[in-house]
Amino acid sequence: MRKEKWLKVALYASYIFIVLVFLFPLFWTLSISLKTQQEIFEVPPSLIPTSFAFENYLQVLETTPILTYLWNSFRLVGSTVIVTLLIAVPAAFALSRYQMKHKSKFLVIILMTQMISAVVITIPLYRLYADLDMLNNFALIVLVYVAVVLPFSTWFLKNYFDTLPVDLDEAAIIDGCTKRQVLTKILLPVAKPGIISVLILVAVQSWSQFVIPFILIDDAALYPVSVGVINLQETEAAITTHYLAAGSILSIVPVIILFLLLQRYIVGALTTGAVKG
Amino acid sequence: MSNTSFAPEPKKKSTIKTLREKANTRFRDTAYPWLIPLSILLIAIFLYPIFEIIRISFTDMNLVEQDFSYTFNSYIQLFSLPGFWPMLGTTGFFVFFSVAFQLLCGFVIALLIVRGEGLKLRGTVIVRTSVLVAWAIPGVVIGVIFTMLYDETSAGILNHFLSQMGIGPVTFLSDPTLALLSVTLANIWRGTAFSMILMYAGLQTVSKQLVEAAKIDGAGAFQRLRNVILPTITPIILVNLIIISIDTFNTFDMVMALTQGGPGSSTEVIALSIYNTIFQEFNLGVGAATSIILLLINISMTMIYLKVLGKKGDPS
Repeated sequence: MRKEKWLKVALYASYIFIVLVFLFPLFWTLSISLKTQQEIFEVPPSLIPTSFAFENYLQVLETTPILTYLWNSFRLVGSTVIVTLLIAVPAAFALSRYQMKHKSKFLVIILMTQMISAVVITIPLYRLYADLDMLNNFALIVLVYVAVVLPFSTWFLKNYFDTLPVDLDEAAIIDGCTKRQVLTKILLPVAKPGIISVLILVAVQSWSQFVIPFILIDDAALYPVSVGVINLQETEAAITTHYLAAGSILSIVPVIILFLLLQRYIVGALTTGAVKG
Repeated sequence: MSNTSFAPEPKKKSTIKTLREKANTRFRDTAYPWLIPLSILLIAIFLYPIFEIIRISFTDMNLVEQDFSYTFNSYIQLFSLPGFWPMLGTTGFFVFFSVAFQLLCGFVIALLIVRGEGLKLRGTVIVRTSVLVAWAIPGVVIGVIFTMLYDETSAGILNHFLSQMGIGPVTFLSDPTLALLSVTLANIWRGTAFSMILMYAGLQTVSKQLVEAAKIDGAGAFQRLRNVILPTITPIILVNLIIISIDTFNTFDMVMALTQGGPGSSTEVIALSIYNTIFQEFNLGVGAATSIILLLINISMTMIYLKVLGKKGDPS
């Protein structure tokens, strides 16, 4: 029992260390974001700001397009999640429930596209969109976002449908359901946890997406936060460190809130995805 | 899982049979219509660009002029650039150390959390969530955050801590060698979360009875780790290894915000080099040729991935 007690102490010590390593950078950014300009250059630096200059946040909200960036991110992520589900759910259903020639080859090809760098595909798309005068086009950019997360989403959902018993379909078909009704009326309600998992994973990945908007958007007013923050950084002459810190905090607050609310689902989503995918 | 234990087999077969009969009747009743949107999108957004980038790599195109001719020059130019091999070296360093430490840290943290859960310790959820938050922060924001941590003046927090230990001041980002180390360290911080969660998932599959049995047989903690836990999760470790390697090869957002590839080109990894060649130097041909190198890396890693997955069991 003594041994177990020491083990617990050691585990807690390691936990404190891990939490410090992962949260300190965020804590420090928060601290800088609440300092005045003089405080930033103070030596030695103080961990906790003395002034709590909340006006930094007002300044950033008023003088930078950070809210526009956030709004653009929401629009992109929301549309991407919806379109991805609209395409991936039927495809996954078919791959799970229909017989098909070369099915495993088809699945491997889908998986291979997943591995290809977004930089590689975005360059030709940039030329194409520029020729068509379609850079900055919201719908076309969403399509690229969707394509990038589609392979993984389809695989994940296909594996999820595979775990649902075929008896369900059969009973429904005997009751006179068409295949489409089997999907919408019988399987979708049961598959909710799997769909929520995909939704979360797609949302987080699209929120962080960088290369696609960075290359395919050249109008700064349309940037999502994942690119816009670079713009804040580049205009550093006007925006100093405390404003940059406030901007960074503003750009991660939505995700952090989402994480705290959904943390249970997120771990579930990631672990089922890992074991099955 | 639970309802497959009794008599699902004959039922399954009969369903398959009825599906077959339907499949023979009409296109409408096959899997294909359901797959059309997926196929169109993947062809347009993956297949077409890949053919196009291969074509561009055999031209002397640039971003500004319209005229071009077909040539091998882009490749010859690329291989004779003085910066090409150092760039690959930088990429290799960045990827190797990022991946090695993401695997190691991810594994250790997952092990600590699982151990704590076994003892019903409070606070494991807090640890898990704190690590995971890093995964959801966009790369450029992580770059900005680490720029602040790496502040080289005495007002910089890391330098402050180091000076209290009698070290420094350290030129984290302005010394070429240190800059590469600093960038890699930030990337390890960023990527450990994903690796941790995969390892965590893997550790859930380790049989508790087996670990207990080994304990009763007198196996120490290290022996249990080596002989029971590691063999079970080797497939997941390999899958993890390949996924994070590919991700690390393809990333440049964080580097962009942290150092822009500098000082000089000491932190210019391959994906950033492609971007700079095309959008700063407007040299589409050489940029495309570099993309082909990255594409070849992606493809070879995928081949390894499929091999591993094939060994792990049925990939579908």
